[in-house]
Amino acid sequence: MTRTRILWIVWVLGTLFVATLFANKLFFAGNRTAVLPGQTAGAHHQIEVSCDTCHTSGPFASAKKIKKDINKTCVTCHKEELAAADDSHPLKKFTNPRMASYWEKVDGRFCTTCHAEHQPEITSPAMVTLQGDFCVACHSEGDQDIRKDRASHADLTFDTCASSGCHNYHDNRALYEDFLVKHAGAPWVAASPVHPTEALAHSYTPVSADQIETYLASIDAPADVVPAPAPAVDLAVDLNEITHDWAASSHAAADVNCSGCHAPEAETQAEIDEQWTDLVTEATCASCHKDQMRSFSTGKHGMRRHPKIAKPRSAKDALKFLGVKKPSKELQAEVAKYLNDPTNPGVMTPDEALIHLNPEAAHNSLTCATCHTPHRQDTQRAAVEACTTCHVDDHTRAYFDSPHYDLWQAELAGDLPAGSGVTCATCHMPKSESRDKVVTDHNQTATLRPNEKMIRPVCQACHSLGFAIDALADDALIQNNFSGQPSAHIPSIDWALDRVEPPTQGANQ
Amino acid sequence: MTRFSTKIKATLAAAAVATGVSAPQAMAEGMEFQTVTDLLHLVMSSDRTVYTRMIVNRLAVQEGVIKASEHFVDDKALVLPAQMFRFGSELVAESTDEFSYSLLSLWPINKQNAPTTDLEKEGLEYIADNPGENFYGEEELGGVTYFTAVYPDVAVAEACYACHNDHKDSPRTDFQAGDVMGGVVIRIPMDS
Repeated sequence: MTRTRILWIVWVLGTLFVATLFANKLFFAGNRTAVLPGQTAGAHHQIEVSCDTCHTSGPFASAKKIKKDINKTCVTCHKEELAAADDSHPLKKFTNPRMASYWEKVDGRFCTTCHAEHQPEITSPAMVTLQGDFCVACHSEGDQDIRKDRASHADLTFDTCASSGCHNYHDNRALYEDFLVKHAGAPWVAASPVHPTEALAHSYTPVSADQIETYLASIDAPADVVPAPAPAVDLAVDLNEITHDWAASSHAAADVNCSGCHAPEAETQAEIDEQWTDLVTEATCASCHKDQMRSFSTGKHGMRRHPKIAKPRSAKDALKFLGVKKPSKELQAEVAKYLNDPTNPGVMTPDEALIHLNPEAAHNSLTCATCHTPHRQDTQRAAVEACTTCHVDDHTRAYFDSPHYDLWQAELAGDLPAGSGVTCATCHMPKSESRDKVVTDHNQTATLRPNEKMIRPVCQACHSLGFAIDALADDALIQNNFSGQPSAHIPSIDWALDRVEPPTQGANQ
Repeated sequence: MTRFSTKIKATLAAAAVATGVSAPQAMAEGMEFQTVTDLLHLVMSSDRTVYTRMIVNRLAVQEGVIKASEHFVDDKALVLPAQMFRFGSELVAESTDEFSYSLLSLWPINKQNAPTTDLEKEGLEYIADNPGENFYGEEELGGVTYFTAVYPDVAVAEACYACHNDHKDSPRTDFQAGDVMGGVVIRIPMDS
């Protein structure tokens, strides 16, 4: 055998070996970041190692099926949000064959037409991967030509439809014509501005020290309230504070005592002793606070908990595929360890975020107790202080010099009624009332995609629609946290009014 | 090739019985496309007339106890008859692509409901010019050939023409009772 021939064989074998290692990661398990075709957009980077969350088609599926399958996964997480938005361009509007001529322009049957993934070079805000004037495709010809249909639009260019504060592709709940007319002409801020649902949530009467003592004395405290096993650290002083904080909280009012969270499955004292844990998990909170957990898992803070995120690929299935019928547990564990699949990614920490956050908080993990004090009923911390632990951008820092902050301080001082103050949570985690219950939306991104979503649940409680539209379209005003008036006026309400009450000739001159 | 898939033949036969139409073809090997669209339209137009007359016209026009509004959630109002029809057609589209239907007009308040294909335009013009007649044809859309039927949609109650004549976006404001105001278009893919 010649030297060349041997070298060829070595090269082929070596290549096959490396290719096998690579295919292994792709098809069985393990970290697949090496084959990521380009960074994902927006918040998707948090789940991008869980490829199977979006890529659900089997191997060798047709391009058509792959496209269909991927688009199905978009709505597993975004369905409720789109339904709530009263989507102006729902997929179902485009599936009828009569829309076939539109499929060639902008194919509205698929999310990925406008939101292509792994294309960081061409991705604009809201994860749009089309040119900013995409409306031109369907609204510039024949019956649909908006420039002919609306005199006010005759000279407008198509790159301003969605960038001007006038229209959104999906959510126009606060921007549709009849709504603009209905809410025209109000003063920019109400005479006594109060957010009604915030007012409802803030209007509980604090419990007095006497009431706490009486309550603690009345219950069977020693066995139930104070944990039986000695805590790992000396909590003697804190324990007293904890019991007092707890006694004044809604947890106590609802008969949720120490073991309710620290040994949730236990029924007898012996079981409490055995199962007690100092670290209460999110799952325990979520067993009662279901609504909150659900919305938390759809926002950037908690999306890694979303139930539809793909689970790690199992070593057992990989071994079965390779022909090992009944793999032993040890073998499975060894294979899993070797393949080291990073899915599901752990809880989100600020150092993984793509925006600048406080480096000192880099390794804080984001769970319920990150923002909520577990024993004390203190929503003030969760409403501002907790946010500013990590968020240190201009908008956040400017809050403390803003009129909204002053209102909050005045409410805390008792100078203004409940619901007058505006905190981070007022706007980013709005409360809603349903069946006499106030629920906080824990998807803190919900009112920002796009920011006109904030108008109805938040701004309009105190401000006119016109002011809210102008303010939310003013980037500088957002940066200084609304200290001042909007610098430009969006004419959408004026134009809408002109169509219902045409001004008499020359009246405006 | 004018036979309809046997999959929903039984359903249609049941529908035909329920609506009092004798449909001997339903028992044979297959049905003519035209028979299928005729039966489908009978169900659609009956339901549509009932909703318009007995719900919207009675409560919103005659008794005035509740409004009917395009923004029915914000206005806490009745769904408009045209929306009722569209929501039904969208729900059907979520379950099957064996047929599809829509309510269109040459004078639509919502511009989306103007004809988008040549055959739709031809059909809508035909039913407007020939009251009482339907229009049938074939067309190719997105690479698929469809049997397309267009049925006249008539003003069955005051609620229909009063609203269309008064609406600021309506291109025509002289509708009267009994006028053809638009058409129901039903399509069945012929290739499957």
